[in-house]
Amino acid sequence: MKRNILIWIVFLLVLSMLNGCSKNSKDKNTFTFATWAAGTELEEFQAVIDKVNEEAAGEYKIEVLSIPSDYYVKISTKIAAKNSPDFFWLTQELISKYAKMGALADITEQFKHSDSLIPDMYYEGVLASAEYNGSYWGLPWIANPIIVFYNKTMFDELGIECPTATDDWTWEEFIDICRQVSGKEYKGNTVYGTIIDGWPNIETFIWAGGGDIIAKDGETIVLASEEAKKGMGYLQTIIKEGLSPRYAEVASLGSNNVWFEKQRVAMFFGGVQDNFETKVDKMDESEKFEIGYAPMPVCDDGSPWSFDWTASTVMAKSLEGNDLAYKALEAVTKAFFEWKIVPPVKGSINNVIKINPKKEVAMETIAYIMDYARSANYIPEWSDINDKLWYNLYVSLLNDASFDYRSQMDEIQAYSQDLISKR
Amino acid sequence: MKKRQRAGFYFILPWLIGLIVFTAFPMLAAAYISLTDWDIVGNAKFIGLDNFKNVFRSEEFIKSLWVTFRYAILAVPLIIATSLTMAVMVSKNYKGMRIFRVIYYMPAIVSGVAVAIVFKWILDPSYGLINGVLSFFHIKGPDWLYDPDWVLPSYLIMAMWGAGGSLLTYLAALKDIPQDLYDAAMIDGANTWKKVKYITIPLMTPIIFYNLVLGIIAAFRKFTDAYVLGGAGKEGNFYMVYLYEEAFSHYRMGYATALAWILFAIILLLTIIVNWTKKYWVYSE
Repeated sequence: MKRNILIWIVFLLVLSMLNGCSKNSKDKNTFTFATWAAGTELEEFQAVIDKVNEEAAGEYKIEVLSIPSDYYVKISTKIAAKNSPDFFWLTQELISKYAKMGALADITEQFKHSDSLIPDMYYEGVLASAEYNGSYWGLPWIANPIIVFYNKTMFDELGIECPTATDDWTWEEFIDICRQVSGKEYKGNTVYGTIIDGWPNIETFIWAGGGDIIAKDGETIVLASEEAKKGMGYLQTIIKEGLSPRYAEVASLGSNNVWFEKQRVAMFFGGVQDNFETKVDKMDESEKFEIGYAPMPVCDDGSPWSFDWTASTVMAKSLEGNDLAYKALEAVTKAFFEWKIVPPVKGSINNVIKINPKKEVAMETIAYIMDYARSANYIPEWSDINDKLWYNLYVSLLNDASFDYRSQMDEIQAYSQDLISKR
Repeated sequence: MKKRQRAGFYFILPWLIGLIVFTAFPMLAAAYISLTDWDIVGNAKFIGLDNFKNVFRSEEFIKSLWVTFRYAILAVPLIIATSLTMAVMVSKNYKGMRIFRVIYYMPAIVSGVAVAIVFKWILDPSYGLINGVLSFFHIKGPDWLYDPDWVLPSYLIMAMWGAGGSLLTYLAALKDIPQDLYDAAMIDGANTWKKVKYITIPLMTPIIFYNLVLGIIAAFRKFTDAYVLGGAGKEGNFYMVYLYEEAFSHYRMGYATALAWILFAIILLLTIIVNWTKKYWVYSE
């Protein structure tokens, strides 16, 4: 008798353990959506999902899975455990990698033949971030291109001419303005023209000279081109001439944006989402200043390219070809266009003011820059290439203005090309 | 098996299953994964010892191992010396000494991320605490984590700050030393230094040995603060940070697992060497 009881206890323990490890079963019209949102953002996200579920009227249901920390570690672990969320947010750098790994559903056909959201509706440069190998792997739901925020009050008091909302200033003109500002005394501090500390992304400078990192074919590295090197030359000039605070000095105020808020730099490369307007509003009267907006300086190829960070909502590979899942994905993506700025689709630019009325003053610049918003041409080997670009090139130059960046670009080009050749 | 033994076996069975499922199986799986090319999503492709060959050819591996080894060589003795000195200091029963014991031990209970953030400020080149004090004496402080030459000293300072972690074990060992040994030494005319040299240190060697082994393991597994703070010129790229990046940034699970096995082998080898030296310097009755 006792023996039987013991055996049952052990059996139940093992069963409960295994049950804890098993995947929950769910209905075929219920989809999980993993997000990195937390706190207030998660509450807003939940409200968006609730609205979408309500409109679906029982046709499908989306359930929220919040992963506020170690997001990509947990996502990849879930995928490895064959327990991938049905939908999840994915940053642009990882689309090609996850697509190559076979974790994502190819949505090209459904996207192209949709009744309500087709590729042509997106800004071209933004949509390119969800494209790899000629297919679409996700629906971008947000764009955050860089513009130049400047301290108009400082410009006026120092007697320097301000750029305009849709200026066609060049990088040389930008640097020249930095020279006019740097070293001047303003509100008791010596000020700088701008601040570069690893931000903006290195792509910004490589594009500035008319160059690029990876060619459109996704197989050719073009980092060692004279155009790319010329762009890095602009960065070297800014560092060498002390037009930005020293790299080691930036963290002293917390982060780069604080230098702009504390009026220690005149111009700041910021994503359009940056909420300087709110921060300035909350300042004491004596600390307040007027913010001006300008697009990115025109690169040597004639366009004011703006590095854009975009995230897409992607669908698990297991749902490839599932029309109901795609319908839910499309519905939720369209709902995001009314939640986050900047909606990455044309004709929705006015949503920006509805979402954040304080951005009205920047609208002219935001509308202008969206046509030039783009990301790098991300390929599966990007994380390795980016490591080299960051540590061996960008940080080296930030630490030592006389760093031989040209040779380093040649080396990274050879390294990256070699990586691609091993595919 | 006797009935009584069988009952005992049944009671430990859940633990045994846990050990097999959550320890033995992952170890075996890790051994297999280290022999594969696996990007976490698709099927693992068996590639034999290629991952291990690639590891030893990698400059990043050599660099991260060198960063970690150099740190371990300096940090482990420094931490032992610091915590032993602190233990001797706070072992006296002076008034208010308990407060000092708490203060010295406190760093051990603070989260690694919080420590890293505090040290980010302490080591800030412009407005940090250390350079602030140095500037008071008209000394220009270094750029610490922003200068490749000063990254290692920065991490050593952080390590020494946390040296109180092993304080409790030293204190317990100190309390175990019989007072009559010191009394006898005093009658023989021994001064404080001689008492420390001939009584305290020899009798503390078993606990120093214990902390040496744990210190080597901890130094080679250094991750949290290094991951948060980094360091110029990749001087903050410790072995575990490199391993983590390979696994979760580059999704090279096979390669990362090979790195983990190599780390295991290094730590095992060092532990065997240290254990072998035990007979030359560790006191045993």
